[in-house]
Amino acid sequence: MEAHELDILVLGRQANVRYVTGAPQLWIAGTRPFGPVCVVVRASGDIYLNTTDDEGVPEEIGHDHLYGLTWNPMTLIDVLKKIDGAETALRVGTDAITPTFAALLPEAFPAAELVDGELAMRAARRIKTPDEIAVMGEAIRIAEGGLAAGVTELRAGLSEQKLAGAVLEAMAAGGVSTPATQDAAWVTSREHPWQRAQPNGTVQDGDLVAFAAGALAGGYVGEVGRTRQIGTITAEARQLHQRSNTLYDKLIAACRPGASTRDLLAAYDAAREPIPPMPIAHGLGLGFDPPVVSETLSAAGEDDHLDAGMVLAITGYVWQEGVGAVFRRDTVHVTATGPEVLTHSPPWPAN
Amino acid sequence: MTNSLTAGIEIPNEPDWARMRSEIGARLRSAMADHGVDALILLMNGHVQYATGVSWPLLDAGLSHVERPVAVVLADDEHPHLFLPFRSGAASEPPVPHDHVHGPVYLEFDHGVAEFARVLAELIPSSATIAVDELTGAMRRSAATLFPSGPPQEAAIVVGAAQLIKTRDEVSCLRQAARITEAAMADVQKALAPGVRQIDLSALLVRRAFELGATANMLEAIWQVMPASREAGVWTTHGDLALPLLPTDRELSAGDVLWTDISFSYAGYCSDFGRTWLVGEQPTAAQHDQFRQWRAILDAVLAVTKAGATSGDLARAAIAANGGRKPWLPHFYLGHGIGTYPAEAPMIGTDLGEDFDDNFVFPPGMVLVLEPVVWEDGTGGYRSEEIVVITEDGYLSITDYPYSPYGD
Repeated sequence: MEAHELDILVLGRQANVRYVTGAPQLWIAGTRPFGPVCVVVRASGDIYLNTTDDEGVPEEIGHDHLYGLTWNPMTLIDVLKKIDGAETALRVGTDAITPTFAALLPEAFPAAELVDGELAMRAARRIKTPDEIAVMGEAIRIAEGGLAAGVTELRAGLSEQKLAGAVLEAMAAGGVSTPATQDAAWVTSREHPWQRAQPNGTVQDGDLVAFAAGALAGGYVGEVGRTRQIGTITAEARQLHQRSNTLYDKLIAACRPGASTRDLLAAYDAAREPIPPMPIAHGLGLGFDPPVVSETLSAAGEDDHLDAGMVLAITGYVWQEGVGAVFRRDTVHVTATGPEVLTHSPPWPAN
Repeated sequence: MTNSLTAGIEIPNEPDWARMRSEIGARLRSAMADHGVDALILLMNGHVQYATGVSWPLLDAGLSHVERPVAVVLADDEHPHLFLPFRSGAASEPPVPHDHVHGPVYLEFDHGVAEFARVLAELIPSSATIAVDELTGAMRRSAATLFPSGPPQEAAIVVGAAQLIKTRDEVSCLRQAARITEAAMADVQKALAPGVRQIDLSALLVRRAFELGATANMLEAIWQVMPASREAGVWTTHGDLALPLLPTDRELSAGDVLWTDISFSYAGYCSDFGRTWLVGEQPTAAQHDQFRQWRAILDAVLAVTKAGATSGDLARAAIAANGGRKPWLPHFYLGHGIGTYPAEAPMIGTDLGEDFDDNFVFPPGMVLVLEPVVWEDGTGGYRSEEIVVITEDGYLSITDYPYSPYGD
């Protein structure tokens, strides 16, 4: 906060609230509207949290700093007004904002300029501590358990929905009922690169089926992705898998401290694979962490560099007409001594 | 639950997707005209789903920011513009015309916003009044280029006005979401027994819901074990019961009273399932009484539920049927709307105040989730949820699940 000259941070994004407070919140899928869920005051270090009960709330945040769920924005503004430091704060950062709160927050912080606080949060969350890596390991373990369950169930005649259900079930049975991603299984198209064969499809013999599992555990996201072929593995599928391996090796090699995120895109070029339209890498942590590496975004000028301590989801995607795609995703920890791949699911069944 | 008087509301078994798009488009443009808004820029997943008809298995909130679908609705265009990320394995046909589909935008990044602003400049005249539902930091830094005519208005108000009334195809989706959830919960209830963990129930539920056609799990499934007394319960800011408490891996015991709260979506439309279950035992007389009390409150509320009624009318009916006390928790409500988000306007009985509730008049076609709560120490209380569509003369129920082991 000091580096960004913020006196107060008002946070609404689930990941940021978790980062600051350590308290678990009710998980809702997808985006949710911004509201002042957590407030941090730099001078005093005080933290205030929007929660009605104290389950999972660290003792350091006293009961008198908890404000309950309300539906009237003015009730929230009243709470914020009374925060020690609200009246005199000069720079108040929020991680997102709505036009409603852009108009209301000045009532709580009359002396302040309202600015973006997300950049400060990103900076804080960018480099993972060893403890965080350990917690992410747990999320990865759950995700990999989900993936394994999907792979085990895989046979011709099943719907993608059923397979997705199996992946999500296994993650919940493993202790985590909050999925990071729910589009867990799809038949890759033999006609169109990057796409599923059809909406709500059924798996047929010879299909290349992609599995993507992600879990939000202990507040952290772990992701893994693998592809399997139904029935006897064909020569074309083996070839495609070989291309996937080549690409994967180059992608992982690009996960070095100091490397530009452009190097990840370059890995596709070096492997002579077309770059897919989806991001081929994104930061992982409590939620959204930069970078997002996609051809479009890089072409627009948005590039980043990697630092030791960052964690990325790296995606390899190769496709062959008439065959399908091999999709692969791994969670990689960038370390000073080289990339540490945290996901261990076998890329292909053992012979 | 039996239907009350209906006014010929026909809910199609299958939604007519083209008709749904057309009718929702008309509602949105009408709401825009009412609010003097020329263009809507929508980032919230629920709003994008509503405005464009695209739906997808939602990502965790954090990952949702990596690539978000964005909708731009223009007051004078029959079709919305959709900025659609290529989901790994996206379906081939987006629900808007091809010339209205654009590649993904990356609104968390300054360069991503610059790209977006370039496209917007071609779609939206610089004098246009724009409303947006969320601003990222990068958008705020580029506000001058994104919103040349001045600070944007609140899109949630405009979209909310359109969403208040559901078309019959939307109701069909909502009912399908309810049916999928109910069928899945029927299987879960069969598995409920001492020794089972809450997390096991979640596992079975998510599997069945997906097998039955759910698009996404909207909410962490709640199987809250109710305390013996308010006193013994988790600390709360208001001193009343806590809700919801997150699932754990503890084993359930005979006699545990569970308040369940579940939401899945179908084609982007949400269910909101609530029942009170008892583990391994039959309800005592006192527990049956709790259910009867709940039932009486619900019936009293339904008796005044119709187009033209206000939120205040329903709140008063509920309070009167509950001996003068509010049959809902201080941090919640008697009921709420539902659509592409599990909880939409109106919220009944909140700190928005009685005046607000008295001025909220129900139109026909509004969808309401009713969830009164009764409590008596030593019984685990009773809470369940029912969803109704408001009609001219009353309401039409779209939920249908037994109350067992409570009730007759």
